[in-house]
Amino acid sequence: MRFALFAGCQVPNFAPQYETSSRLVLKKLGIKLTKVEFNCCGYPLRHQHFNSYLLAAARNLALAEAKGLDILTLCKCCLGSLKRAQSFLAHNPDLMAAVKRELAEEGLAFNGTAQVKHLQTVLHQDVGLERLSDLVVRQMKGLRIATLYGCHALRPSRVTGFDNPYSPHLIDELLEVIGAESVPWAGKLKCCGAPLREKNEVLSLSIINQRFKEVGEAGADVLNVDCSHTLLQIKWAFKMLWPRSVELLKGVVLYPQLLGLAMGIAPEDLDLDENRPRAGFLSNYLAPRTPVSPEENSLVKRLSDHYI
Amino acid sequence: MFFKISLLLALAVCAAGLAHKIWSWLTISIDKDDCQYPPGRRLAATLSELGRAVFSGRLGAMLRALVLEGFLQMRSLGHSRTAWLAHVCIFIGFTGLLLFHALGAQLTATLFSGYYPTLDPWLLLRDLLGVMVLVGVGLIIYRRLTVQGLRRITSTTDRMAIVFITVVLLSGFALQALKITSATSFESMQKEYAGLSAPRELHALRSAWAEDYGVIFAPGQTSRDAEVLALGRKLSEDNCVDCHAPAQHAFASYALAAVMRPLALTLDGLQAPQILYYVHFLSCFIGLALLPFTKFLHMVSGPLLLMTNAAVDRKTMDPAARATLRALEMDACSHCGTCTVHCSVAVTVHRIHNQDILPSEKLSALATMVRGSNGDRNHLAQIREGAYTCTNCYRCTRLCPLGINLNDLWVALKRNLYHEGFGDPYQEVAQRSQKAAEQSRSSDTVHVVSGGFQHGLKLSAQAGTFSGCYSCRQCTNACPLVFMSERPNESLDLLPHQVMYSLGLGLKKEAMGARLVWNCLTCYQCQEACPNLVQVTDILYELRYLAAKAASGLEA
Repeated sequence: MRFALFAGCQVPNFAPQYETSSRLVLKKLGIKLTKVEFNCCGYPLRHQHFNSYLLAAARNLALAEAKGLDILTLCKCCLGSLKRAQSFLAHNPDLMAAVKRELAEEGLAFNGTAQVKHLQTVLHQDVGLERLSDLVVRQMKGLRIATLYGCHALRPSRVTGFDNPYSPHLIDELLEVIGAESVPWAGKLKCCGAPLREKNEVLSLSIINQRFKEVGEAGADVLNVDCSHTLLQIKWAFKMLWPRSVELLKGVVLYPQLLGLAMGIAPEDLDLDENRPRAGFLSNYLAPRTPVSPEENSLVKRLSDHYI
Repeated sequence: MFFKISLLLALAVCAAGLAHKIWSWLTISIDKDDCQYPPGRRLAATLSELGRAVFSGRLGAMLRALVLEGFLQMRSLGHSRTAWLAHVCIFIGFTGLLLFHALGAQLTATLFSGYYPTLDPWLLLRDLLGVMVLVGVGLIIYRRLTVQGLRRITSTTDRMAIVFITVVLLSGFALQALKITSATSFESMQKEYAGLSAPRELHALRSAWAEDYGVIFAPGQTSRDAEVLALGRKLSEDNCVDCHAPAQHAFASYALAAVMRPLALTLDGLQAPQILYYVHFLSCFIGLALLPFTKFLHMVSGPLLLMTNAAVDRKTMDPAARATLRALEMDACSHCGTCTVHCSVAVTVHRIHNQDILPSEKLSALATMVRGSNGDRNHLAQIREGAYTCTNCYRCTRLCPLGINLNDLWVALKRNLYHEGFGDPYQEVAQRSQKAAEQSRSSDTVHVVSGGFQHGLKLSAQAGTFSGCYSCRQCTNACPLVFMSERPNESLDLLPHQVMYSLGLGLKKEAMGARLVWNCLTCYQCQEACPNLVQVTDILYELRYLAAKAASGLEA
């Protein structure tokens, strides 16, 4: 299996640990990544210049298409942006024709054959939970994780197709594989406030503050996010809301870091302490893997654990 | 005499220019905050930063940066081998020519005994180095023509620089070629060093040089008779060979001489070698004089910058020294276009048609701004568009072969623009739209626009889906902004379902100016919640885009 890695504009510079941990995990899973110099996914351009947004997104799709590859994104806003552009173009022949013409000038053929998937979709669907489970050698025993699904992956669900927009389970299942507990919490499907960070600081901060509170109320040990904008938003807000933020949020972690730990990758290679707030303490939760009895693993048991 | 005067003149202009530049590094303020440091303070801060670096053992790192990043351009090897090869060819060729050819009599002669420009290895080396520079220039032209995006930004200055180097090089080769074939040169050299007077001997020497060295004499002055040639070669052996390696060793010039053979006599008669000699050294001197004022300055500023970067930490350094560093960066750019080729948003210039989006051009715009010529407000608006289209991906900073911290300069650019009254365009458009809506609300008449505007909302997947809104308020119930607000009707002006309904009624200003539109989080909860498939979020996106479009139309 081979993908074109779409790291986005923010990850290489502000969250390199996201890329390194993803690469380590994917390598273990035998997934190869091809380096393509993509441009901006178009997300920040959409308010300003719709046509540029479409062209930027389409150029990325065309670059992947030229290599005959599908795109694997790390950022959920990149995912949403590319997917939305794909659907805009598919529904509007005029826009499509204009984009095709412009890309052709550069020698790029664009037919829209390249698919776009988020890292978690690849892990869940292309790799599969069973295979992931086979490779898990250590478990995160007793770790309570609050996961934030990410707006631009979940919605508009008809376009992104990431999961059920009202009761998603993809990330919960991925967390279950590594033996952690995905705690129910109020902010799971909600917004992190990142899109307003540079437009309305106060509002943006009050929204992420709300999420912090909800994580605190749920008593989660750590917050899991897999979107570069959310990661940066948390980093900024954690500092802005300090010292109150420390009481609410103990750490933030990316899924590939968690999976890496469970697969036996050395914690120092996963740069957990590069996250803000840091997540280095997570390696304390690592325990040898214990076989799960079928009874314990039954659906009824799982449901009752969560909701009753 | 003329040579000396023009050289001194060129050196004087160059020195004055460099002094002026160094002064500007201490006086020009890239960031508005840098103004507060007077030149003396800046100089002291810079020297103390560098001094501290040297004495804290960073000299090694500085020298390493000079050699690896400066001379050998290792920074460009990672992203373009052609660019790297071009630079290395030009750097080695040019430096070699400067040391062993231009400064041959002064420098090489003192270092190597027996230096003579017409002896090997110098004769061979000169042509080799010259060819290296030409190959480098050729690679640059090839890149400028073929690399996507590079052609667009190639300016007159870039072309002039290429033409200029080519003139210097080609005039040098042509001069050497004409000297090889020149009978006049032969005669004067012969008189000075061999001093032959017997016609038989002269005839023989000419014949040998015509045969072996490629000198072209008037018809009848030479012969190919074996005996004559033998005598000529003996005379050459006695008088000439000590100072003359075979002319063929100047391989490029000799090849050129072979091409020019039919014209050689005529050119020699027209004193072409003399003219070319003037062209060659004058073009070199003009280059020397112009060095501080053109992109050739990067030969000085580039290594300085790379060494400074290796010596100091930009974040913790004295802000007065950082002001100097920023000013130096403006003069380090060689307009190689690496930043623009790899820019994450370069693709947008196909649609926005604003060159100032491209980092290399944005840097030029910043340079003109800080030097005091702001241009008109339209130009400032254009620069702002460039400044705010950036996604802050740092690729330009990471890849710049000269180590210019472009992202730091972009921050300064935004601050400068803000001082000129050109802040974040998003806020400006938002405020403008909100004001228009307020005015519209406070007037007694209702401004209903025709269907034209509604028809204009066609970019969303399903054009005009807002007309499907039956005000069930599912969107409003889902909206986190509404949820966060104590009195959403007041703080957001219109609620999501009200915006959709306003659009249905054709209330353009009210819809576009609602604070809801400008604070929308784009979380898509409204759109997901709509039971009638109204593309609520996409429509809010589109309203912002239409307002931005209208605003940029006003400025243009």
